[in-house]
Amino acid sequence: MNFAVEAAGLGKQYGRRWALRDCSLSIPPGRVVGLVGPNGAGKTTLLHLAVGLLEPTSGSIRVLGASPADGPAQLGRVGFVAQDTPVYARLSVAQHLRMGAWLNPGWDMEIAESRIRQLDLDPRQRAGTLSGGQRAQLALTLAIAKRPECLILDEPVASLDPLARREFLRSLMEIVAAQRISVVLSSHLIADLERVCDYLVVLVASRVQVAGEVSDLLASHHRLSGARRDASRLPANQEIIEESHTDKQSTFLVRTSDPVHDPAWTVRPVTLDDLVIAYMSRTAARERVYQPQLKVMS
Amino acid sequence: MIRFTWLQFRPQAIVALTALFAFAIVLVVTGPHLAGLYASSGITACHGGTCATVAGGFLSRLAITSPYPIVYELGIGLILAVPAIIGIFWGAPLIARELENRTFALAWTQSITRTRWLVVKLVLIGLAAMAVTEALSLSYAWWANPISKAIGLQGPYPVASEFGGNRLSLVIFASHGITPLGYAAFGFVLGTATGAFIRRAVPAMAVTLAIFAAAQVAMPLWVRPHLIPPDRTVVSGPSLVTSAGVNLGNLTATIVPGQPGAWITSSGAIASGGQRVSTVPAACVPPPPAKPPDPGRCLGSRGIREAITYQPASRYWPLQWIETGIFLALSLALAGVCFWRLGRSRT
Repeated sequence: MNFAVEAAGLGKQYGRRWALRDCSLSIPPGRVVGLVGPNGAGKTTLLHLAVGLLEPTSGSIRVLGASPADGPAQLGRVGFVAQDTPVYARLSVAQHLRMGAWLNPGWDMEIAESRIRQLDLDPRQRAGTLSGGQRAQLALTLAIAKRPECLILDEPVASLDPLARREFLRSLMEIVAAQRISVVLSSHLIADLERVCDYLVVLVASRVQVAGEVSDLLASHHRLSGARRDASRLPANQEIIEESHTDKQSTFLVRTSDPVHDPAWTVRPVTLDDLVIAYMSRTAARERVYQPQLKVMS
Repeated sequence: MIRFTWLQFRPQAIVALTALFAFAIVLVVTGPHLAGLYASSGITACHGGTCATVAGGFLSRLAITSPYPIVYELGIGLILAVPAIIGIFWGAPLIARELENRTFALAWTQSITRTRWLVVKLVLIGLAAMAVTEALSLSYAWWANPISKAIGLQGPYPVASEFGGNRLSLVIFASHGITPLGYAAFGFVLGTATGAFIRRAVPAMAVTLAIFAAAQVAMPLWVRPHLIPPDRTVVSGPSLVTSAGVNLGNLTATIVPGQPGAWITSSGAIASGGQRVSTVPAACVPPPPAKPPDPGRCLGSRGIREAITYQPASRYWPLQWIETGIFLALSLALAGVCFWRLGRSRT
């Protein structure tokens, strides 16, 4: 079976700066995948590489088993909603649908028109006068009505107000339920992803920190708290993601596939939010330790 | 993609067609009256030596008859300006606007490669640019036909200088024939390429205008005279003054003996030793009380000759083809630059 997105040693360089470097990941198909990471982690670059807007400087990326933007057929298999959901301000909603029909052989006008009706948009209205939420919905409609096998969305709700955000994600859920397509959705807000995603990829500084089914991730991470204890005295099968200590007490966020039986610990489940923040801050902490050494060496 | 290109291009096309239509109305309203003036001037019935006088009379009367001098100059100005305007308003935003508004992410993720996207845009809008400019040029040539004919008839010594020169003269050449096609294509693709590099529409517009204007000035001044190796001739003696029509003030030739309608690209007097002479010797033009000597004989006796470099009138069409070809080749090269710039590894 083909992965929805599969990258190996993927890198993209702008001048001397690497926007994405040595990124390897495999995103399984048929899921709603959340790609989460701080700003500047390389999410947008990765997604632009996936839809063929960019070409890699190094490494390779395959989407649905083929090289992105290899030709009209591959372009038709992937739907894309770009950051801030750009549309043509001067063209009307109906003209956007016509554009979709002209430029996509697989276009389904019925899907497009029924969505516009559901959203209560006036087909004659110019896209430039739509609200942010309406514009995002129009962009989603364009990406869906070409009947892609894989839908890629780059921070589609980042600039929307909470209500529009909820409406948009609800639309996305309906589409996923009705069409059974692979979805990759990036965001730096975990709350958005929690509602829709069943698979999570945490990307920090081009590297995948953790990836897996949301339910597995939640089941395999625990927060342990109890009397102060040094990290080195934890069992080898417990990977420490985050630790904090007071004079008397220690708290760990650990990853382990085995149950935690140590009676000295109070074991609590983690939320997705805790988990993502823990992975992000672990990377940030490592960099803080690492960078001064680099400076001395150079 | 053709239909979508038209959908996006329609507002600009409507503006262009409206402007073209407005100008055509001016031509259609004033054209027949101009032709009537020409017919009643007696030029059609002239023969031999009288033609120059009649044509000169017609032109000098026309020069003070509103609105003909204005329409004449406006038309030429418009034909020269339209390729720049097209470059600015059709070319520069073509790619720059997509990048600026980030709509490229929408355009280039439809089921169509961006190469195809650019091919269709460049070809369709490029052809529209050429069609609009050439339509303007042809309708203007139709309107100005009586004036052009009279200029041809009036001979070497123009009476009314309001109406430009012959068809090889600088601005007339670039606004007639097939050269407007070349300038239009060049202006459009230049704008597109500039936009692809600068990535913002407004600065790209300004740069397009600057580069196009530079090309428009450089071509007639430094390139066109050498497109075909020019002919040279040296005139001396009485013919220096009478036939060559030397303007005695500064010793530059205005006509070439035996070459009516030739385009003089450079001329200058040289003394017997071959050194340049910039002013007429004082002895040949004494102050008023003294009777001036025959200027031709006076200059001739001092060994002063006039060297003229020129393109004969018969080279009009070869020069037109070469100049148009150069601009079309530049357009193709710039289109190649656009494709290279839009390559996926660079955006």
